[in-house]
Amino acid sequence: MTEDLIVFLKKYKTSRIGLIGLGILIFFVITAVFAPYIAPYDPDQRYKSTEHPNSAHLLGTNQVGQDILSELIYGTRVSLFITLFASIVSAFIGTSLGLIAGYFKRFDFFLMRIVDLFLTIPRLPLIIIIAAFMRPSVWNLIFVFALFEWSITARIIRSEVLTLKNRPYVDAARMFGARDFHILGRHILPNVVPLVVVQLVLVSRYIILAESGLSFIGLGDPTAKSWGMMLHDAFEYPTIFISDIWMWWMLPAGLCIVFTILSLTFIGYALEELVNPRLRRMTIL
Amino acid sequence: MNLITKVVSYIIIIFIIISLNFFLPRMMPAGPLSGLTSSDKPVLEQYTNYMASLMHGDLGWSTSKNAPVWDVLMRSLKWTLLLVGTSTAIYVIVGILSGAVSAWKKGKKTDVGLLVLLISMASFPPFFLGMLFIIFLGWKLDLFPRFGAQTLFIDYSTPFGVVLDILHHLTLPAATLTLTSIGVIYLLTRNSMLNVLGEDYILTARAKGLSEWYIVRRHALKNAMLPIITLVALIVGLVITGTIFVETVFAYPGVGMLVADAISAHDYPLLQGAFLIIALAILAVNFIADMIYVHLDPRVKQE
Amino acid sequence: MSILKLTHLKVHFPTQDGVVKAVNTVDLEIAHGERLGLIGETGCGKTVLGMSVMRLLQLATKVEGKIVYKGRDILRLSEEEMRKIRGKEIAMILQNPTTSLNPVLKVGDQIAEAIQLHQGLNKREAREKAVEMLESVKISSPEKRASEYPHEFSGGMKERAMIAMALACNPSLIIADEPTKGLDVTIKMQIIKLMKEVTKQKSMLFITHDLGAAAEICDNIAVMYAGELVEYAKTTDIFKNPMHPYTRGFLNSLPGMGLKPIRGMSPSLIDLPTGCRFYPRCDHASAKCKIEHPEMVEIKNGYSVRCFLYT
Repeated sequence: MTEDLIVFLKKYKTSRIGLIGLGILIFFVITAVFAPYIAPYDPDQRYKSTEHPNSAHLLGTNQVGQDILSELIYGTRVSLFITLFASIVSAFIGTSLGLIAGYFKRFDFFLMRIVDLFLTIPRLPLIIIIAAFMRPSVWNLIFVFALFEWSITARIIRSEVLTLKNRPYVDAARMFGARDFHILGRHILPNVVPLVVVQLVLVSRYIILAESGLSFIGLGDPTAKSWGMMLHDAFEYPTIFISDIWMWWMLPAGLCIVFTILSLTFIGYALEELVNPRLRRMTIL
Repeated sequence: MNLITKVVSYIIIIFIIISLNFFLPRMMPAGPLSGLTSSDKPVLEQYTNYMASLMHGDLGWSTSKNAPVWDVLMRSLKWTLLLVGTSTAIYVIVGILSGAVSAWKKGKKTDVGLLVLLISMASFPPFFLGMLFIIFLGWKLDLFPRFGAQTLFIDYSTPFGVVLDILHHLTLPAATLTLTSIGVIYLLTRNSMLNVLGEDYILTARAKGLSEWYIVRRHALKNAMLPIITLVALIVGLVITGTIFVETVFAYPGVGMLVADAISAHDYPLLQGAFLIIALAILAVNFIADMIYVHLDPRVKQE
Repeated sequence: MSILKLTHLKVHFPTQDGVVKAVNTVDLEIAHGERLGLIGETGCGKTVLGMSVMRLLQLATKVEGKIVYKGRDILRLSEEEMRKIRGKEIAMILQNPTTSLNPVLKVGDQIAEAIQLHQGLNKREAREKAVEMLESVKISSPEKRASEYPHEFSGGMKERAMIAMALACNPSLIIADEPTKGLDVTIKMQIIKLMKEVTKQKSMLFITHDLGAAAEICDNIAVMYAGELVEYAKTTDIFKNPMHPYTRGFLNSLPGMGLKPIRGMSPSLIDLPTGCRFYPRCDHASAKCKIEHPEMVEIKNGYSVRCFLYT
């Protein structure tokens, strides 16, 4: 397995888009991890309100006097935390259910009906309405996202498992008396991992977009401000568009969202090219 | 899945959504109804009352707008339809065309340029792009109005003036919605087209001496569209939900803005009503897409 | 004069694992009206050779040498000029009719579009001609079949449709790539009989690993191994008196001759050995064969072989 990983990393290095995306993401992750050391102030601490950028507050302060730059840096934590956690949880649920549905025929029909249900019901409206009925908090947001994002992963993993199940080496393993969990763990799971990684990246991308949107319309956690929440605060401010305030209050937070999404899109694109060779070149033979 | 099974499954889902609408507020521990539910009637009776009133188009009373929810929704529906309709028409055509061209010219400058441009645009949250448009095209350059669907309190001498005014107000929101949605269709078309262009029958077409553009148009496009249609549901779902954010930013008085208003005003009947309409609309689109797919793929038609 | 002459043809593909040398210096000639069989096992480069004549290979492929068709070197032609030749002058029957026909277009339309393009007929006339073509390949109720989709055709019928498609514009040269592959034995015989009939006045390059099919139809046979030709002779001579050890081994591996397989494995086209390509599997090899690479030498009139046993 480790040799596969090394081969994979080597191939990934050849994708310029993939490396750019990875670089941007790493930048944000480092910012999130080292936030307390990078941010000039505690983001909750209040100073003079709506100050223009000056030497004390490089990006000024918001309507209650919190330093915007610190909010921005700590916002990295909130946004990335919600995204990563929710996507990992949903990947875990999706992969497990996909493996079970694909491998054990008796669970397949039942599980797939549920997946179909989740897939047909429009996700974001339902997420919005559930979030609207809950208390705004980071954990509720994570819960709500994980609740819906597992279904596509489950379906994709299940298809792959169905194909893998019929491979000769699985039959051979069974003939030798290998137990189901052993087969799942040793033969099927490693082949499924690349797909899971791709799904993780794509789902994360969606969650960041959705989370910023939800926070923007007021469903975010006011105590743990993500970038979307910052934009929500900015939007509520009456003269946000007429004066120049948008330049330091709105633009940086929005651009952070854009670049995070961009990085995940790039990474996802590079990974998909690796997993599906037809996108890379057309062969005749 | 034949027609009857499909219709039945859609009806089941509609039923589930309507029921969810009823049960959700009652299920939430810290939800709005936890304190004020009139629990003098048993839940089942409340449920049947709810279903019955739905049949009559009674969706409750909007506390923030002080009017029946149904009326509020109907007033706003036309603006959302206008916005979504216009945007969809544009981005579907542009998205598919650009995706096809990109796949055809894969690796060359056109492809790379389109790829970078559209991926970047798709990475903008719609409300952020909207805000940027308001600032630059609305205020700085004063080219377009910043909010609303129409200029109020103005009498236009001709209906043409009204139409022009509406289009003027529609431009920025539609542009925002279109630009943020194109990326998805573009990438899907490009991927699907690349898959198709690698197929053997494309080689056969080339062996007959047909031109590349003819092949893309006549042989590849139809095959490439099939998987996209199955995803149209997903795409339109994304767009309809994108409307929620775009309308809010532009104060465009459609159903999407009602969602944001209802949330901030804690007007739950209105929120539920809006959710219902949005969910049903997305389902309707799914259904139509399913029907179109069956019509297009001759292999499925036989069944 | 020959209708097709390949001179020092080389086709190389760069891949992630190295350069695939699919065709290595092939010299071949097809006379007017000659039907030449190109025999070899899977992966020896014969399909690539066929495709290179049609210039259907990917842009990344390196093609060197000359391919002269009716006096013109078609490797030097522009893409637009080449398109006028494809389907009209040289037509190819591609492998695997199941995936080579577009599933969402009617069969009749797929035949008619080439006719419309090359012969300038309008839609209705082209359609009528397409029906005629289906009839000429012995498909019953051709009128009805023309309006059907490929998945409604059986395997044998699909192959016939591919043949009809190739013949539609009356090409001078036909390249047939494995037309009998994957078909039942009885269908195979029908297709062979059909091909023999419809290509009577035409020149053809018949690519196959089915020696029996080639024997039925072709006047001459060229044997290909590891990207190069190793033997060329009249069909009767190849069977009566095969020279190259590979050809002999090939014949012996046929069901009718004893099913004796050739030992060893087909060589990779990326790492080719320096001496004779067949050396590792040859029972008559000598030390010279390992080091030196034999040339193709004409032993008798119309009989060439690439082997140190004879040169």
